Amino acid sequence: MSRKLAVVFLTMLILVGAMGLKTVVTAHGDGSLVMANGSSPVPITPYKNGSSPVPITPYKVNGSSPVPITPY
Amino acid sequence: MPGPFTYFIWFVGILCEAAVLVCALKKGAFRRYLLLNLYMAGLMIVELGRYRILSQYGQSSAQYAYFYYYSDALLTICLYFALSSLYSHVFSEMKAERYVKMGTLLLLAGTAAFSGAVVLQSSAKLLTHFVLELSQNLYFVGVVLTYVLWAAILKLKETRTRLIQLVLSLGIYFSLLAANYAIRNLYPQLGAVVAPLAQIFGTFLPVAWAYAFWRLPEEARLAPARLAVIPR
Repeated sequence: MSRKLAVVFLTMLILVGAMGLKTVVTAHGDGSLVMANGSSPVPITPYKNGSSPVPITPYKVNGSSPVPITPY
Repeated sequence: MPGPFTYFIWFVGILCEAAVLVCALKKGAFRRYLLLNLYMAGLMIVELGRYRILSQYGQSSAQYAYFYYYSDALLTICLYFALSSLYSHVFSEMKAERYVKMGTLLLLAGTAAFSGAVVLQSSAKLLTHFVLELSQNLYFVGVVLTYVLWAAILKLKETRTRLIQLVLSLGIYFSLLAANYAIRNLYPQLGAVVAPLAQIFGTFLPVAWAYAFWRLPEEARLAPARLAVIPR
């Protein structure tokens, strides 16, 4: 039983650590995603004109529909 | 459409992914590292599918965007299971396979629940948002899991060279992508230089794994550090 509890504890610890790391890394990000699979080119999004900062939202891949208001 | 350099790197990546499978098959490591090889096979198939869709609809099409991000989420889940199989290899002597499986499923469920809870705050396109959020969260879980596994390897004084190479290359791969992402956000003016680097980094993992399967035999062991001589 204690081993199972240790697994649950470690799992929660890793989850909290990962989400904390994500918050730290993406806090000052432009809302783009970290892609980790393969070398294919990332799809072109509508936010690629000029060098102005991109609006802060991770959901920018859905065509021309209005971007939902997110807590980011 | 992407430029010739992008296509070149892309095809080099696909060739390297194929090389991993060929090397694993030739060296008899396909079944031993089954999940790693299945991930690499899936990655290669997805890359070919992406090429087909990109050449048919274009890089700025919704079809390519949906296929790219949905397939990326599936691949991230595969990579997560591949990473958990490395845990099983490292802890095989401790007979902890049952606990590794339990932890893997629990962590995946926890990440999915967390992603779902975040996505429920927005109203539209729930499934797409969930896929993106889950993919992103699993990536960071993978980063932490890789470092934890590396710490366990150091603690357990693991000597299997091929296993160490596989884990280390995964850690470097995740770190390169995270560093690239951080630099891109810290210095947006370097975007033209940094963005293609992410694509080049995408070829690192297949190259490192192909090397591990081709050059490092399963029996290879790292020489343990010399014993410290303590004067009496």
